[in-house]
Amino acid sequence: MAASLKTRDLARCLLNYEAASATSTEPKESAALGVYEKLRQSLSAFAGEAAFESLAFRALTQAKSEAPSLWAVQVTEGGSLQNLGDVEPQSDTDQGLAAKFPAGDGGIILIARLLGLVHIFLGEALTMRLLRVTWPGAALDDCNSENGRKT
Amino acid sequence: MSTQDKVQIKKLPTGVPGLDEIVGGGLPEFSFNIIAGAPGSGKTTLAHQFVFANASSERPALYFTVLGESAIKMLRYQQQYTFFDPSKLPDSIRFINLSQVVLEGDLSAVLDQITKEVEKANPAVVVVDSFRTMVRKPKSDMDLQSFIQRLALFLASWQATTFLIGEYAEEELRDNPIFTVADGLLWLRQTTERNSIVRKLQIVKLRGQDSVPGLHTFRITDAGVQAFSRTFGLTARKRNPPGARRLCFGIPELDKMLDGGVPEGDSILVAGSSGTGKSVLATQFIADGVSKGEPAIIAVFEERPEAYALRAANLGLDLETPQKDGKLIILYLRPLDLSVDETMQSILDAVQKIGAKRLVIDSLAGFEMALSPGFRADFRESLYRMIFALTGIGVTILSTVEVDESFTEFPFSTYSISFLCDDIIRMRYVSIDGQLRKVMVVIKMRGGNHAKDIREYEITSKGVVILGKRLTEYQALISGIPVHSDRPDRMEEPA
Repeated sequence: MAASLKTRDLARCLLNYEAASATSTEPKESAALGVYEKLRQSLSAFAGEAAFESLAFRALTQAKSEAPSLWAVQVTEGGSLQNLGDVEPQSDTDQGLAAKFPAGDGGIILIARLLGLVHIFLGEALTMRLLRVTWPGAALDDCNSENGRKT
Repeated sequence: MSTQDKVQIKKLPTGVPGLDEIVGGGLPEFSFNIIAGAPGSGKTTLAHQFVFANASSERPALYFTVLGESAIKMLRYQQQYTFFDPSKLPDSIRFINLSQVVLEGDLSAVLDQITKEVEKANPAVVVVDSFRTMVRKPKSDMDLQSFIQRLALFLASWQATTFLIGEYAEEELRDNPIFTVADGLLWLRQTTERNSIVRKLQIVKLRGQDSVPGLHTFRITDAGVQAFSRTFGLTARKRNPPGARRLCFGIPELDKMLDGGVPEGDSILVAGSSGTGKSVLATQFIADGVSKGEPAIIAVFEERPEAYALRAANLGLDLETPQKDGKLIILYLRPLDLSVDETMQSILDAVQKIGAKRLVIDSLAGFEMALSPGFRADFRESLYRMIFALTGIGVTILSTVEVDESFTEFPFSTYSISFLCDDIIRMRYVSIDGQLRKVMVVIKMRGGNHAKDIREYEITSKGVVILGKRLTEYQALISGIPVHSDRPDRMEEPA
């Protein structure tokens, strides 16, 4: 089952915000890595590294089924991500998804999967509070595509 | 040193209904406390309730989780409780995981990490959950004691009220350096008795204030932990002086036998075997009070309120209108697995809600049967506490009790609770002239004189009606098998 549209919108929002905060010459994967690292620090602080590592591993496994471009990415001990920036863009096996999330959007799918898991365990209220604290400047309420996607 | 010169210790609300009363008004600010108990006994939930009741964005709470329950899962479960307010996270309540520090470092590293976080956040409340997993690491007891003392001193200096949560067994209570350092020790117990779970808490230690001693029942509901003080929260209330007012049954002949009625604030026991009219008498007592504007409670265990009210209506007693007007509550209490204190708390809440003056417990046998088996052993003691507490604030209580009809004895109760009662009315069957008839007698009235007459009565469409004259032609009426005296039949005026 694919990550929900809502969590993908949220992930896209975070990546866009992170990309806008970084220099424009950095590759898109750097934004994904930046979002992932902030989530790792934030979640590890209250849940512990081991708990985050488990969530991240599960999220990556789910994301790989949606985005084969993530095939080389690994979660290392402590929950850090390896090889996200080194992955060459590959075509998605799902043509519909490929159209919506073209090669290189593996980062969005991974972050969406991670947010989805956090949402499942903590619920929407706590998840959103966690994100607002981690990205105080991001307009997360405007991320819902049903209300008009902001890019 | 005058009272003004003494330091005033602020008492913090525990956030646990009933617990403030037990700990003497709240937990002392800046105290160093331990919440101990077996897994699943409610330690974490209790700590969360305290945290949510006291944390603010100016003085937040730091909740350190160590090895054990994952913080993610803990939050997942804890947010199901009604006290959990997500808006308090993470500004007012911050969860910090120390697992890695504990796994990789020694207790000094743990202390350093806690120090760092406390200095950064300036918290009002600090919780370490579970502390027990941390203290399994030290090389010697001296290390542990030193660590505890340094932690306690540091957190007190930072004006933080602290809770260490740990799984401990009863036998670990003695000679444990942790418990020596602690200002407060809350012990949560959970035992299985037959098919029921019995939860009790004890304030083993609490420096600087007067807590209620003993084991207090508690329950975990969707609102979190709720404690039931052994004193029912009425210790702080001033006892009313015995009233001069008499409360009537609305049965003229019985009221006369009672010298005008039962003294207000008395506990009355109406004892008799099945079918003698105890409930009818109790209903008439309530109806008379309600008709005079006295709010009342009827706690029933053996039939539903609708049936109870319908039966009263058949006797011409309207219990529906006062219920609608908020002057009468009929409580139906058939709570499996409830403790006697919880059940009594329901009665107390109802009494306080409408300012009840009269209370009927119908019946004690039903009350006892409604309790989980594990709590039945405490029934008499708890009943005593409740009667003492309620009559102390001026509520007049009438309890009915079924007794086995014996033709060799004249028992008042199978519970040996007659000492709890100021007044006793005994109803029984007697065999007279080939008929099973009913008599009643006032056995005791602590507050004054009462008639010694044994009076025959009937249950009619108007309730209990005492028949006109005292029977004098029979002897041994209370045996149930009276003997006709040799004297000629005659009826005497009541004494």
